[in-house]
Amino acid sequence: MTPLETITADLSITTPWSSHGGVHWLAVDASQIRRVAETMNRLAARFVTITATELPASEGFLLEYLWDLDGVLFGFPIHLAGTSLESIFDICPAVDWIEREIHEGFAIDFSGRDYEPLLLRAGDKTGVNLREVPA
Amino acid sequence: MSYRIPMGPYHPALEEPYKLEMFCEGETVCDARLHIGFNFRGIEHLAESRNYIQVIALMERVCGICSNIHTLTLCQAMEQLTGLEPPPRALYIRVIMAELERLHSHILWAGIASKLMGFKTMFMSCFALREKIMDVLQAISGNRVNYAMNRIGGTNRDISDPDDILAAVNKLESEITGTVIPIFTTSATARLRCAGIGVLTHERAIACGVVGPTARASGVTQDIRQAAPYAAYPELDFHVTVESAGDVRARLFVRALEIVQSCRLLRQALTKIPSGPYNTGDAKIAFAAGTAISRAEAPRGEIVYSVSWKENSRTPARVHVRTPTYANMPAVRWMVQGARLADTPLIQASIDPCYSCTDR
Repeated sequence: MTPLETITADLSITTPWSSHGGVHWLAVDASQIRRVAETMNRLAARFVTITATELPASEGFLLEYLWDLDGVLFGFPIHLAGTSLESIFDICPAVDWIEREIHEGFAIDFSGRDYEPLLLRAGDKTGVNLREVPA
Repeated sequence: MSYRIPMGPYHPALEEPYKLEMFCEGETVCDARLHIGFNFRGIEHLAESRNYIQVIALMERVCGICSNIHTLTLCQAMEQLTGLEPPPRALYIRVIMAELERLHSHILWAGIASKLMGFKTMFMSCFALREKIMDVLQAISGNRVNYAMNRIGGTNRDISDPDDILAAVNKLESEITGTVIPIFTTSATARLRCAGIGVLTHERAIACGVVGPTARASGVTQDIRQAAPYAAYPELDFHVTVESAGDVRARLFVRALEIVQSCRLLRQALTKIPSGPYNTGDAKIAFAAGTAISRAEAPRGEIVYSVSWKENSRTPARVHVRTPTYANMPAVRWMVQGARLADTPLIQASIDPCYSCTDR
C-alpha cells in the first residue's frame, strides 16, 4: 500500500487526495485529527507545522496540519466552526509550541492538554489576532 | 539541595532574549522550561497588510542571519501562486546566495561556540573569516545583511563576475579548511568541552521534529536540498553530513563538514551557471486564489512558508512561517537534562538558536 492509501484506509475516508504545489491534501473532520496523528506516527512521518487562518464572516477557522514523510508533504486541512478541538500533544510532542501559539493568537482551545504561561505575551489575554482594531 | 535557576531573558550567555528556567540538584540540571516571546513582533500579522512587493522586504527582516533564505522560500511560494517560473540563471544565483549565507551563518555559530568554550582566539579567527564572506555577499548584492536578492520570478540582481566570486570562494575555503575545521575537529579544548554533553537521542530528535544540523547530528538523514530539492540543487552534487552521537561535538562536526559541502556546491554553481536572463522581467503578476507551501534548507534547518491568497487581492490572506529554531528550541529541554549547570550555555548554543526567527 502507498502512504496515501494507508492513510485513507486508516481514517476510513473515501474522499480523494488532491495534490498541488508538492503537497498531498486530504480534508478531514476535526474529530479525526487524533487518528491522523496516530497514523502519521505509525508511518514515521515528521510533524512540520499547523497553519491557522481566521475565515471571513464568522465562518470559523481553517487549520492546516502538515507532516513530512520521506521528503513529501502531507496536509490535512480542518474547517473548525467553533473554537475548540482535541490536542495531539500527547501523540506528537512536536506540536507543543505551535498549539500554544495558535491558542494565544486565535483563542482556539486544544482540549486535553495543559498550557504553560503564554509564550508570547505573559499576563495578557488570548486571541490577539481575533481582536478588532478600531479604524 | 534543589533549586531553580533562571537563565535569561537577558544574560551574558545568551545572544538574544529568551529564558531557560532550570531545576537543579546541586550542579546537575534535572529539568528545564523554555520561555520565548520577549521580542515578539507579530510579523505574520503585519504581512497581511503588505502587498506582494512589500511582503518580501518585510519577511527578509524576520532574521538578520538567514534573511536570504526567508525571501527565497517566500518567493517560491508566491511563484506557485502566480505561475511565474524563474529562469535557470536565477535558480543558480539563488543557490549561490543560499550557500554563501550558510557559510557565513555556520562560521558565525563557530565563533559564538568558541567564545562559550572559552576559546577566544578561535572566536576572533571565525569572525575575521565571516567578514570576508560578508564581503563576497556585499560584492554580489550591495548589502551585508538584508540582501534584497529575491523577487517573484527570479532575482533582482545578476552575478556578473562569477569567476571573481569563485576565486574568493576558493581562497575562503582554503582558509576555513586550513584553520577552523582542523582546530574544531581535533583540538583537545573542543573535544573536552563538547564530547558527550547535551545529548539528543535519535528517538527524541524524531519525536521533537527537530530539523537541520541539530537533527543530522542525531542520526536523522534528511536535508531538504536533497529530500525535496528546489532552485538548482537537483543539478548539483553534494553529500549530506550525518553524525549519530547526538552531542554538542556531533553538532559541531556536522556544521564543520557542511561548510566543506557548501564550498563544493558554490564551486559547481559558479562554474555551471547558465547564461540568460535572471528574472521574468516585467511579466504581469496575477495571483491565483489558494494556498502554496514552500520550504528550503536554511542554515539552521528546514524553513517552511505557507502563503494564502484571495482572488484579485494585492495582499496575502495569510503568511505563516515555521522557522528551524522554532522546531529545534523545545529540544533544549531534553539536551540539558542531566547536564552540568556550567555546560548549559554551550548546550543551548549548540542548536544555533535564532530568537529573532522564533519571535517573528
